[in-house]
Amino acid sequence: MITLDEVTKTYPLGKGSSVPAIRGVNLEISQGEFVLIVGRSGSGKTTLLNLAAGLTQPTSGKVMIDGTNLWDLTDQQQSFLRSQRIGFVFQFPSLLPTLTVLENVILPTMFSSKQEAAQAHDRATGLLQKVGLADKLAAYPRQLSAGQQQRVVIARALMNQPLMLLADEPTSNLDEKTELEIMDLFHDLHASMGITIVMVTHMRQLVSYGTRAVEMANGQIVNNRASYEVPHN
Amino acid sequence: MNAFQLAWKNISGNAFRNGVVSLCALLLSAFALFTTLVMRGAETSLRLTIDRLGADIVVVPEGSEAKIESALLMGIPARFWMPEENLHKLSAVQGVDVVSPQLYLATLTGAECCSVSDMFMIAYDPGSDFTVQPWLKGEMGNGLRLGEVVGGNYISATDGEQNIQVYGYLVTLKENLEPTGTGLDQTMFLTFDTAYDIASKSKSQAKSTLVIPPDSISAALIKVAPGNDPHAVAIEIMQNVPGVTPIESSDLFQSYRKQMTGLLKSILVILSVTWGLSVVLIGLVFSMAANERRKELGVLRALGATRRFVFQSLLAEASLLAFFGGATGLAVAGLAIFLFRKLIMVSLDIPFLLPSPVSLLVQIGVGLLLALFSVNLAALFPAFKISRQDPAVAMRE
Repeated sequence: MITLDEVTKTYPLGKGSSVPAIRGVNLEISQGEFVLIVGRSGSGKTTLLNLAAGLTQPTSGKVMIDGTNLWDLTDQQQSFLRSQRIGFVFQFPSLLPTLTVLENVILPTMFSSKQEAAQAHDRATGLLQKVGLADKLAAYPRQLSAGQQQRVVIARALMNQPLMLLADEPTSNLDEKTELEIMDLFHDLHASMGITIVMVTHMRQLVSYGTRAVEMANGQIVNNRASYEVPHN
Repeated sequence: MNAFQLAWKNISGNAFRNGVVSLCALLLSAFALFTTLVMRGAETSLRLTIDRLGADIVVVPEGSEAKIESALLMGIPARFWMPEENLHKLSAVQGVDVVSPQLYLATLTGAECCSVSDMFMIAYDPGSDFTVQPWLKGEMGNGLRLGEVVGGNYISATDGEQNIQVYGYLVTLKENLEPTGTGLDQTMFLTFDTAYDIASKSKSQAKSTLVIPPDSISAALIKVAPGNDPHAVAIEIMQNVPGVTPIESSDLFQSYRKQMTGLLKSILVILSVTWGLSVVLIGLVFSMAANERRKELGVLRALGATRRFVFQSLLAEASLLAFFGGATGLAVAGLAIFLFRKLIMVSLDIPFLLPSPVSLLVQIGVGLLLALFSVNLAALFPAFKISRQDPAVAMRE
């Protein structure tokens, strides 16, 4: 499904110097997997996720989704592919503050050809029901707790019926109880919908939620094995 | 939801940016409308006055050029005289077709015997007149009789009556002329007979006598014979009739035109500086606002928005702000001009006529376009820059 082939990403620092974030990474993620990318801060986890989604261009190497090199596509094709196949859950509050909860969830349909307006409304309502926020349709993000906001983001990520969810530290700003609720939600989505999930986290104890754990250090994959094989601390 | 609706939602989210951009758009459009309305209004007034005058050349006593301009444009009563015999000399000049004399008179100031104070009056000779009479015949079917007058647009008799008291003499207001925005709006037109009758009766009926020196006229209006160049005829007059100044209608109000040109240049400089500063300011504010929303725009890109969508969305926001700011500015400027047009005329010392509804709509449209163009121009670079940014970098910062 997603293939990273000898991917390198270097960030320029100015005055001709640069810092490597990802160094010659090879990774293949198949349909239906729940992959957790773990590692310390600065190990390159988020950059790897962004590369996989086409949100940043690799310095070298190829990023392929279903055999198509993302960077052979035009911006329009790439954006369309993202809207159709990938749902995002970010670490930071990513809801648009001027839109209501319902409008935020419907937002991705603007960039997709999948749904009519009425259909989108029904689906968004259903998704918000699924994440336990059916009574918050008209609320604005500022009126929600951090955990509720993250649930809305997950509903938004599912709006276009993506084939995979990419989540970047989705629980890092949440308390322990909410963190577990959100992780349970991801687990349920994976189990009930068979959706592919790639999640970045620095919390090794969450590895048990996934089917595979990829451990990164210094921009390289240092471990890539089934979750049950990874020690949780 | 589409890009426009999203932009509409977003403009409620940044009060500082909205305030600055709308204010700039407001100032630009208001200034632009004010300038065009005043300058075009003044130009229209001059043109209408020249048309109303209907002569190719106006001949006045030497040194009276400024006085006649002030009288016709600003309604400041003028009194100057030249010998009536000049009419014969003028008729003899090659290229002159018709010569018609006029008397320039004024009502008394604050006198009980006058119901109007210090008003300019133009008396014409029905026998030779080719400017007032054709209009009167078109409007009333005949000329003025003894004791009758027509007034400029601002002239009115009290309380529904038709009579106006001048030097203790009651004249009947027969008709009002279309507005010109000039002194002609405050001027009464009457025949020589009426003028002389008023002068005669004023000796017994008025506080002061209306004096018309014998065998004198104030000005002579000249119609040039077909095929003749008014400029050449004016030169002939200068050479053959001493003590007079011929003013070609195209040269009339030259001092006002120069004054208006100077005013226009100053306004254009101020407008250009304001425009330049506004564009720079809006550009900076948009850059700041776009930077603040980097993450949000990065999220949109992650959700599937194209670079073009982000670019268009930001410009749509700019357009909405420009529209509302611009529309408010136009309304404010329009209202200010309507309410304070007399003050504008006096303070800028120029004639002014409100434009027709169509012309006003065109000028409002131009004002709005200027606001839209300026704001979009200012937002263009920040919008382009932010739309080209790597979404991952945008979300990280």
